[in-house]
Amino acid sequence: MIHHHPDNNLLLEYASGSLNWAHSLVVAAHIQLCPQCAAQLKLLNGVGGNLLASATPTPSLVCEEGDVFSKLMQRIDQQPETADTRCPDSDRGTRPVRDPIFASVPPVVRKLLADNPVLQWRRLSKGLKEARLKTGQSEREVSFHRIAPGSKVAEHDHRGREITMVLYGSFSDADGVYTPGDFLVREPGEVHRPTATQDQECLCLSVVEAPVALTGLIGKIVNPFLSIKPQ
Amino acid sequence: MAATKPNQGGASSVQVTDQKRDDEWSGLLVRVGRDRDRQAFERLFGHFAPLIRGFQFSRGGQSSAPEAADELVQEVMFRVWTKAPTYRPEKAAASTWVFTIMRNCRIDALRKSSRQPATDESLNVEDIWDDSQDEQPLVFLQQTRNQHAIAAGLESLPPEQSHVIEKAYVEGKSHSEISEELGLPLGTVKSRVRLALKKLQSTISR
Ligand SMILES: [Zn+2]
Repeated sequence: MIHHHPDNNLLLEYASGSLNWAHSLVVAAHIQLCPQCAAQLKLLNGVGGNLLASATPTPSLVCEEGDVFSKLMQRIDQQPETADTRCPDSDRGTRPVRDPIFASVPPVVRKLLADNPVLQWRRLSKGLKEARLKTGQSEREVSFHRIAPGSKVAEHDHRGREITMVLYGSFSDADGVYTPGDFLVREPGEVHRPTATQDQECLCLSVVEAPVALTGLIGKIVNPFLSIKPQ
Repeated sequence: MAATKPNQGGASSVQVTDQKRDDEWSGLLVRVGRDRDRQAFERLFGHFAPLIRGFQFSRGGQSSAPEAADELVQEVMFRVWTKAPTYRPEKAAASTWVFTIMRNCRIDALRKSSRQPATDESLNVEDIWDDSQDEQPLVFLQQTRNQHAIAAGLESLPPEQSHVIEKAYVEGKSHSEISEELGLPLGTVKSRVRLALKKLQSTISR
Protein backbone atom coordinates (compact mmCIF):
# COMPACT_ATOMS: atom_id res chain seq x y z
CA MET A 1 0.00 0.00 0.00
CA ILE A 2 1.47 3.33 -1.07
CA HIS A 3 1.04 6.13 1.46
CA HIS A 4 3.26 8.87 0.09
CA HIS A 5 2.60 10.41 -3.31
CA PRO A 6 4.00 13.26 -5.38
CA ASP A 7 1.78 16.31 -4.85
CA ASN A 8 -0.49 17.75 -7.53
CA ASN A 9 1.96 20.52 -8.33
CA LEU A 10 4.70 18.05 -9.18
CA LEU A 11 2.29 15.88 -11.19
CA LEU A 12 1.14 18.89 -13.20
CA GLU A 13 4.70 19.90 -14.03
CA TYR A 14 5.31 16.32 -15.14
CA ALA A 15 2.15 16.20 -17.27
CA SER A 16 2.78 19.56 -18.89
CA GLY A 17 6.37 18.60 -19.69
CA SER A 18 8.12 21.30 -17.66
CA LEU A 19 9.56 19.03 -14.97
CA ASN A 20 13.27 18.28 -15.42
CA TRP A 21 14.36 14.87 -16.69
CA ALA A 22 15.71 13.52 -13.40
CA HIS A 23 12.64 14.37 -11.34
CA SER A 24 10.37 13.16 -14.13
CA LEU A 25 12.12 9.80 -13.97
CA VAL A 26 11.21 9.32 -10.30
CA VAL A 27 7.66 10.60 -10.82
CA ALA A 28 7.25 8.16 -13.73
CA ALA A 29 8.50 5.28 -11.59
CA HIS A 30 5.94 6.15 -8.93
CA ILE A 31 3.06 6.50 -11.40
CA GLN A 32 3.84 3.07 -12.81
CA LEU A 33 3.21 1.58 -9.38
CA CYS A 34 0.39 3.85 -8.24
CA PRO A 35 -3.10 3.62 -9.81
CA GLN A 36 -4.22 6.68 -7.87
CA CYS A 37 -1.57 8.95 -9.38
CA ALA A 38 -2.00 7.28 -12.80
CA ALA A 39 -5.66 8.35 -12.65
CA GLN A 40 -4.65 11.87 -11.65
CA LEU A 41 -2.23 11.97 -14.57
CA LYS A 42 -5.08 11.11 -16.92
CA LEU A 43 -6.94 14.16 -15.69
CA LEU A 44 -3.83 16.32 -16.10
CA ASN A 45 -3.25 15.03 -19.64
CA GLY A 46 -6.90 15.79 -20.32
CA VAL A 47 -6.28 19.40 -19.30
CA GLY A 48 -3.52 19.55 -21.93
CA GLY A 49 -5.84 17.96 -24.48
CA ASN A 50 -8.50 20.55 -23.79
CA LEU A 51 -6.06 23.42 -24.11
CA LEU A 52 -4.89 22.00 -27.42
CA ALA A 53 -8.46 21.55 -28.64
CA SER A 54 -9.31 25.14 -27.72
CA ALA A 55 -6.14 26.72 -29.15
CA THR A 56 -6.64 29.39 -31.81
CA PRO A 57 -5.98 27.60 -35.13
CA THR A 58 -3.05 29.04 -37.09
CA PRO A 59 -2.50 28.00 -40.70
CA SER A 60 1.03 27.40 -41.95
CA LEU A 61 2.83 30.68 -42.45
CA VAL A 62 5.67 29.12 -44.41
CA CYS A 63 3.91 27.39 -47.28
CA GLU A 64 0.56 25.96 -48.32
CA GLU A 65 -0.99 23.60 -45.81
CA GLY A 66 -1.17 20.99 -48.57
CA ASP A 67 2.60 21.23 -49.10
CA VAL A 68 3.27 20.63 -45.43
CA PHE A 69 1.04 17.57 -45.64
CA SER A 70 2.68 16.15 -48.78
CA LYS A 71 6.13 16.64 -47.25
CA LEU A 72 4.92 14.64 -44.27
CA MET A 73 3.51 11.88 -46.47
CA GLN A 74 6.82 11.68 -48.34
CA ARG A 75 8.58 11.14 -45.05
CA ILE A 76 6.06 8.49 -44.08
CA ASP A 77 6.49 6.71 -47.42
CA GLN A 78 10.26 6.66 -47.05
CA GLN A 79 9.92 5.07 -43.66
CA PRO A 80 9.68 1.27 -43.67
CA GLU A 81 6.28 0.29 -42.30
CA THR A 82 7.06 -0.46 -38.70
CA ALA A 83 3.75 0.14 -37.05
CA ASP A 84 4.20 0.81 -33.40
CA THR A 85 2.30 -2.27 -32.38
CA ARG A 86 4.95 -3.71 -30.11
CA CYS A 87 3.75 -4.76 -26.74
CA PRO A 88 4.87 -2.08 -24.31
CA ASP A 89 6.93 -4.55 -22.33
CA SER A 90 8.37 -6.61 -25.14
CA ASP A 91 11.63 -4.72 -25.34
CA ARG A 92 11.94 -4.11 -21.66
CA GLY A 93 13.68 -6.17 -19.09
CA THR A 94 14.19 -9.05 -21.46
CA ARG A 95 17.60 -9.55 -19.91
CA PRO A 96 17.04 -11.30 -16.63
CA VAL A 97 17.97 -9.29 -13.60
CA ARG A 98 19.31 -11.88 -11.23
CA ASP A 99 19.33 -9.92 -8.02
CA PRO A 100 15.91 -10.37 -6.32
CA ILE A 101 16.14 -6.82 -5.04
CA PHE A 102 15.44 -5.69 -8.63
CA ALA A 103 12.68 -8.22 -9.31
CA SER A 104 9.61 -6.00 -9.03
CA VAL A 105 10.84 -2.54 -9.95
CA PRO A 106 8.58 -0.45 -12.24
CA PRO A 107 9.14 -0.69 -16.05
CA VAL A 108 11.04 2.58 -16.33
CA VAL A 109 13.59 1.41 -13.74
CA ARG A 110 13.72 -2.05 -15.31
CA LYS A 111 14.62 -0.44 -18.62
CA LEU A 112 17.29 1.61 -16.92
CA LEU A 113 18.73 -1.53 -15.33
CA ALA A 114 18.55 -3.56 -18.54
CA ASP A 115 20.80 -1.02 -20.21
CA ASN A 116 23.09 -0.68 -17.21
CA PRO A 117 23.85 -4.32 -16.43
CA VAL A 118 26.86 -3.40 -14.38
CA LEU A 119 26.01 -0.77 -11.87
CA GLN A 120 29.06 0.59 -10.13
CA TRP A 121 28.23 0.23 -6.48
CA ARG A 122 30.40 2.08 -4.04
CA ARG A 123 30.29 1.96 -0.29
CA LEU A 124 29.34 5.27 1.26
CA SER A 125 29.26 4.10 4.85
CA LYS A 126 28.67 0.92 6.78
CA GLY A 127 25.47 -0.57 5.41
CA LEU A 128 24.99 2.01 2.65
CA LYS A 129 25.96 1.56 -0.98
CA GLU A 130 25.31 3.85 -3.89
CA ALA A 131 25.33 3.55 -7.68
CA ARG A 132 25.09 6.78 -9.65
CA LEU A 133 23.60 7.17 -13.05
CA LYS A 134 24.97 9.47 -15.66
CA THR A 135 22.20 11.86 -16.53
CA GLY A 136 24.22 14.57 -18.22
CA GLN A 137 22.82 17.05 -15.74
CA SER A 138 25.15 19.09 -13.67
CA GLU A 139 22.68 20.22 -11.05
CA ARG A 140 21.10 16.89 -10.10
CA GLU A 141 22.43 13.53 -9.07
CA VAL A 142 20.37 10.42 -9.83
CA SER A 143 21.32 7.28 -7.93
CA PHE A 144 20.29 3.97 -6.47
CA HIS A 145 20.89 3.38 -2.79
CA ARG A 146 21.05 0.02 -1.04
CA ILE A 147 20.72 0.00 2.70
CA ALA A 148 21.65 -3.25 4.50
CA PRO A 149 18.95 -4.78 6.77
CA GLY A 150 18.64 -2.81 9.98
CA SER A 151 21.28 -0.28 8.95
CA LYS A 152 21.04 3.36 9.80
CA VAL A 153 22.08 5.94 7.29
CA ALA A 154 24.15 8.71 8.82
CA GLU A 155 21.95 11.59 9.86
CA HIS A 156 22.00 14.22 7.19
CA ASP A 157 20.19 17.32 6.20
CA HIS A 158 19.59 18.53 2.71
CA ARG A 159 20.85 21.72 1.25
CA GLY A 160 18.86 20.98 -1.86
CA ARG A 161 15.63 19.15 -2.46
CA GLU A 162 15.92 15.37 -2.34
CA ILE A 163 13.32 13.06 -3.89
CA THR A 164 13.43 9.40 -2.94
CA MET A 165 11.31 6.48 -4.01
CA VAL A 166 11.40 3.10 -2.30
CA LEU A 167 11.78 0.24 -4.78
CA TYR A 168 12.30 -2.74 -2.48
CA GLY A 169 12.18 -3.41 1.25
CA SER A 170 11.39 -0.54 3.54
CA PHE A 171 12.96 2.08 5.73
CA SER A 172 11.76 4.34 8.47
CA ASP A 173 12.66 7.70 9.91
CA ALA A 174 11.18 9.92 12.58
CA ASP A 175 8.13 10.56 10.39
CA GLY A 176 7.14 7.01 9.53
CA VAL A 177 7.74 3.85 7.57
CA TYR A 178 8.18 3.88 3.79
CA THR A 179 7.45 0.87 1.61
CA PRO A 180 7.77 0.16 -2.15
CA GLY A 181 6.23 2.90 -4.25
CA ASP A 182 6.37 5.51 -1.52
CA PHE A 183 7.54 8.88 -2.81
CA LEU A 184 9.29 11.28 -0.46
CA VAL A 185 10.30 14.86 -0.96
CA ARG A 186 12.77 16.35 1.51
CA GLU A 187 13.12 20.07 1.29
CA PRO A 188 16.39 21.86 2.08
CA GLY A 189 17.12 22.07 5.79
CA GLU A 190 15.21 18.95 6.80
CA VAL A 191 17.29 16.54 8.83
CA HIS A 192 16.54 12.86 8.83
CA ARG A 193 18.12 9.53 9.56
CA PRO A 194 16.59 6.64 7.60
CA THR A 195 16.90 3.12 9.02
CA ALA A 196 16.25 0.05 6.90
CA THR A 197 13.84 -2.54 8.28
CA GLN A 198 15.56 -5.42 10.11
CA ASP A 199 14.59 -8.33 7.91
CA GLN A 200 15.30 -6.95 4.44
CA GLU A 201 17.73 -4.97 2.41
CA CYS A 202 16.23 -1.71 1.10
CA LEU A 203 16.60 -0.30 -2.41
CA CYS A 204 15.77 3.30 -3.25
CA LEU A 205 15.97 5.55 -6.27
CA SER A 206 16.82 9.12 -5.47
CA VAL A 207 17.49 12.49 -7.02
CA VAL A 208 19.50 14.98 -5.04
CA GLU A 209 19.74 18.58 -6.05
CA ALA A 210 22.75 19.92 -4.18
CA PRO A 211 25.47 18.51 -1.96
CA VAL A 212 24.19 16.65 1.08
CA ALA A 213 25.55 17.87 4.40
CA LEU A 214 25.98 15.52 7.34
CA THR A 215 25.35 16.76 10.82
CA GLY A 216 26.77 15.60 14.12
CA LEU A 217 29.96 13.73 14.96
CA ILE A 218 29.31 10.84 12.65
CA GLY A 219 28.79 13.35 9.88
CA LYS A 220 32.29 14.70 10.39
CA ILE A 221 33.64 11.21 9.85
CA VAL A 222 31.50 10.12 6.92
CA ASN A 223 31.11 13.46 5.25
CA PRO A 224 34.00 13.16 2.77
CA PHE A 225 32.41 10.02 1.36
CA LEU A 226 28.99 11.51 1.07
CA SER A 227 29.76 14.84 -0.46
CA ILE A 228 27.96 14.43 -3.72
CA LYS A 229 29.54 15.94 -6.74
CA PRO A 230 27.54 15.73 -9.90
CA GLN A 231 29.31 13.65 -12.54
CA MET B 1 -9.67 30.53 -21.22
CA ALA B 2 -9.21 33.25 -23.75
CA ALA B 3 -9.27 30.87 -26.70
CA THR B 4 -12.39 29.00 -25.71
CA LYS B 5 -15.85 29.78 -26.97
CA PRO B 6 -18.25 30.99 -24.32
CA ASN B 7 -20.38 28.15 -23.07
CA GLN B 8 -23.08 29.98 -21.20
CA GLY B 9 -26.66 29.51 -22.21
CA GLY B 10 -26.65 26.72 -24.75
CA ALA B 11 -24.39 24.48 -22.71
CA SER B 12 -26.23 21.27 -23.45
CA SER B 13 -26.44 21.72 -27.21
CA VAL B 14 -22.75 22.71 -27.36
CA GLN B 15 -21.91 19.53 -25.50
CA VAL B 16 -23.78 17.38 -27.95
CA THR B 17 -21.94 18.80 -30.97
CA ASP B 18 -18.62 18.66 -29.10
CA GLN B 19 -19.23 15.05 -28.31
CA LYS B 20 -19.91 14.23 -31.94
CA ARG B 21 -16.76 16.04 -32.95
CA ASP B 22 -14.67 14.21 -30.38
CA ASP B 23 -16.00 10.91 -31.58
CA GLU B 24 -15.22 11.91 -35.14
CA TRP B 25 -11.51 12.54 -34.41
CA SER B 26 -11.25 9.40 -32.33
CA GLY B 27 -12.92 7.41 -35.09
CA LEU B 28 -10.51 8.80 -37.67
CA LEU B 29 -7.54 7.94 -35.48
CA VAL B 30 -8.78 4.37 -35.17
CA ARG B 31 -9.07 4.15 -38.97
CA VAL B 32 -5.53 5.48 -39.39
CA GLY B 33 -4.21 2.91 -36.94
CA ARG B 34 -6.21 -0.07 -38.14
CA ASP B 35 -6.47 0.51 -41.90
CA ARG B 36 -3.57 2.94 -42.46
CA ASP B 37 -6.28 5.11 -44.00
CA ARG B 38 -4.64 8.11 -45.66
CA GLN B 39 -7.83 10.07 -46.21
CA ALA B 40 -8.67 9.81 -42.55
CA PHE B 41 -5.14 10.92 -41.75
CA GLU B 42 -5.43 13.94 -44.04
CA ARG B 43 -8.59 15.03 -42.24
CA LEU B 44 -6.88 14.63 -38.88
CA PHE B 45 -3.97 16.66 -40.19
CA GLY B 46 -6.34 19.38 -41.39
CA HIS B 47 -7.82 19.59 -37.92
CA PHE B 48 -4.77 19.20 -35.69
CA ALA B 49 -1.98 20.93 -37.65
CA PRO B 50 -3.48 24.44 -37.20
CA LEU B 51 -4.23 23.69 -33.52
CA ILE B 52 -0.67 22.49 -32.85
CA ARG B 53 0.67 25.65 -34.48
CA GLY B 54 -1.77 27.82 -32.54
CA PHE B 55 -0.75 26.15 -29.29
CA GLN B 56 2.93 26.64 -30.13
CA PHE B 57 2.52 30.29 -31.15
CA SER B 58 0.99 31.15 -27.82
CA ARG B 59 4.35 30.27 -26.27
CA GLY B 60 6.02 33.28 -27.77
CA GLY B 61 9.77 33.67 -27.98
CA GLN B 62 12.13 32.07 -30.44
CA SER B 63 10.30 28.76 -30.50
CA SER B 64 7.40 30.38 -32.30
CA ALA B 65 9.25 30.92 -35.57
CA PRO B 66 6.92 29.81 -38.40
CA GLU B 67 9.47 27.26 -39.66
CA ALA B 68 9.84 25.76 -36.19
CA ALA B 69 6.07 25.50 -35.82
CA ASP B 70 5.77 23.67 -39.16
CA GLU B 71 8.58 21.34 -38.08
CA LEU B 72 6.80 20.60 -34.84
CA VAL B 73 3.59 19.86 -36.77
CA GLN B 74 5.48 17.46 -39.00
CA GLU B 75 7.15 15.69 -36.11
CA VAL B 76 3.92 15.39 -34.09
CA MET B 77 1.82 14.18 -37.02
CA PHE B 78 4.55 11.74 -38.07
CA ARG B 79 4.39 10.18 -34.61
CA VAL B 80 0.59 10.24 -34.72
CA TRP B 81 0.77 8.14 -37.90
CA THR B 82 3.34 5.75 -36.42
CA LYS B 83 1.66 5.34 -33.06
CA ALA B 84 -1.95 5.30 -34.24
CA PRO B 85 -2.19 1.46 -33.96
CA THR B 86 -1.75 1.82 -30.20
CA TYR B 87 -4.56 4.39 -29.84
CA ARG B 88 -7.56 3.20 -27.81
CA PRO B 89 -10.56 5.56 -28.05
CA GLU B 90 -12.00 4.29 -24.77
CA LYS B 91 -8.81 5.33 -22.94
CA ALA B 92 -8.26 8.87 -24.17
CA ALA B 93 -9.92 11.54 -26.27
CA ALA B 94 -8.13 12.18 -29.57
CA SER B 95 -7.05 15.69 -28.52
CA THR B 96 -5.58 14.39 -25.25
CA TRP B 97 -3.71 11.66 -27.06
CA VAL B 98 -2.31 14.15 -29.59
CA PHE B 99 -1.42 16.50 -26.75
CA THR B 100 0.71 13.85 -25.03
CA ILE B 101 2.55 13.17 -28.30
CA MET B 102 3.14 16.88 -28.79
CA ARG B 103 4.42 17.25 -25.22
CA ASN B 104 6.86 14.39 -25.79
CA CYS B 105 8.07 15.94 -29.05
CA ARG B 106 8.77 19.20 -27.25
CA ILE B 107 10.69 17.44 -24.48
CA ASP B 108 12.67 15.51 -27.09
CA ALA B 109 13.56 18.67 -28.99
CA LEU B 110 14.67 20.40 -25.80
CA ARG B 111 16.72 17.41 -24.77
CA LYS B 112 18.43 17.07 -28.13
CA SER B 113 19.41 20.71 -28.15
CA SER B 114 20.95 20.57 -24.67
CA ARG B 115 22.46 17.10 -24.63
CA GLN B 116 25.82 16.70 -23.00
CA PRO B 117 28.40 14.10 -23.97
CA ALA B 118 28.16 12.09 -20.73
CA THR B 119 24.39 11.74 -20.86
CA ASP B 120 22.83 8.41 -20.05
CA GLU B 121 21.05 7.35 -23.23
CA SER B 122 19.31 4.30 -21.89
CA LEU B 123 15.96 5.99 -21.50
CA ASN B 124 14.06 7.91 -24.10
CA VAL B 125 11.19 10.30 -23.64
CA GLU B 126 8.57 7.59 -24.08
CA ASP B 127 10.03 5.49 -21.30
CA ILE B 128 9.50 8.33 -18.87
CA TRP B 129 6.36 9.92 -20.31
CA ASP B 130 4.80 6.56 -20.92
CA ASP B 131 1.21 6.40 -22.14
CA SER B 132 0.99 2.61 -22.18
CA GLN B 133 0.20 2.60 -18.48
CA ASP B 134 -3.46 2.24 -19.27
CA GLU B 135 -3.29 -1.50 -18.87
CA GLN B 136 -3.79 -1.00 -15.16
CA PRO B 137 -7.32 -1.90 -14.07
CA LEU B 138 -8.51 1.61 -13.34
CA VAL B 139 -12.08 2.66 -12.99
CA PHE B 140 -12.81 5.69 -15.11
CA LEU B 141 -15.75 7.67 -16.18
CA GLN B 142 -16.35 7.37 -19.85
CA GLN B 143 -13.61 9.45 -21.44
CA THR B 144 -15.70 11.78 -23.60
CA ARG B 145 -17.84 12.73 -20.64
CA ASN B 146 -14.68 13.24 -18.67
CA GLN B 147 -13.22 15.42 -21.40
CA HIS B 148 -16.29 17.67 -21.44
CA ALA B 149 -16.24 17.99 -17.69
CA ILE B 150 -12.61 19.12 -17.86
CA ALA B 151 -13.49 21.65 -20.58
CA ALA B 152 -16.38 23.01 -18.53
CA GLY B 153 -14.17 23.09 -15.42
CA LEU B 154 -11.43 25.00 -17.24
CA GLU B 155 -13.92 27.58 -18.41
CA SER B 156 -15.24 28.17 -14.94
CA LEU B 157 -11.85 28.82 -13.36
CA PRO B 158 -11.10 32.33 -12.10
CA PRO B 159 -8.71 34.08 -14.55
CA GLU B 160 -5.72 34.08 -12.19
CA GLN B 161 -5.99 30.31 -11.89
CA SER B 162 -6.51 29.53 -15.56
CA HIS B 163 -3.61 31.86 -16.36
CA VAL B 164 -1.07 29.78 -14.43
CA ILE B 165 -2.51 26.55 -15.84
CA GLU B 166 -2.12 27.91 -19.37
CA LYS B 167 1.41 29.09 -18.73
CA ALA B 168 2.34 25.62 -17.48
CA TYR B 169 0.88 23.73 -20.43
CA VAL B 170 1.13 26.10 -23.35
CA GLU B 171 4.42 27.76 -22.50
CA GLY B 172 5.86 24.66 -20.84
CA LYS B 173 6.93 26.62 -17.77
CA SER B 174 7.67 25.14 -14.37
CA HIS B 175 6.10 26.67 -11.27
CA SER B 176 9.28 28.51 -10.37
CA GLU B 177 9.60 29.95 -13.89
CA ILE B 178 5.99 31.13 -13.69
CA SER B 179 6.61 32.67 -10.30
CA GLU B 180 9.65 34.55 -11.60
CA GLU B 181 7.88 35.74 -14.69
CA LEU B 182 4.74 36.94 -12.96
CA GLY B 183 6.61 38.29 -9.95
CA LEU B 184 4.51 36.11 -7.63
CA PRO B 185 5.79 34.09 -4.68
CA LEU B 186 6.27 30.41 -5.57
CA GLY B 187 3.74 29.48 -2.88
CA THR B 188 1.09 31.60 -4.59
CA VAL B 189 1.65 29.89 -7.94
CA LYS B 190 1.47 26.49 -6.28
CA SER B 191 -1.72 27.31 -4.42
CA ARG B 192 -3.38 28.66 -7.58
CA VAL B 193 -2.56 25.40 -9.34
CA ARG B 194 -3.86 23.39 -6.41
CA LEU B 195 -7.11 25.34 -6.26
CA ALA B 196 -7.59 24.99 -10.00
CA LEU B 197 -7.11 21.23 -9.86
CA LYS B 198 -9.44 20.91 -6.90
CA LYS B 199 -12.10 22.71 -8.87
CA LEU B 200 -11.51 20.55 -11.96
CA GLN B 201 -11.74 17.42 -9.87
CA SER B 202 -15.00 18.50 -8.29
CA THR B 203 -16.44 19.26 -11.75
CA ILE B 204 -15.52 15.79 -12.96
CA SER B 205 -16.87 13.85 -10.02
CA ARG B 206 -20.09 15.83 -9.99
ZN1 LIG C 1 0.71 7.95 -6.04
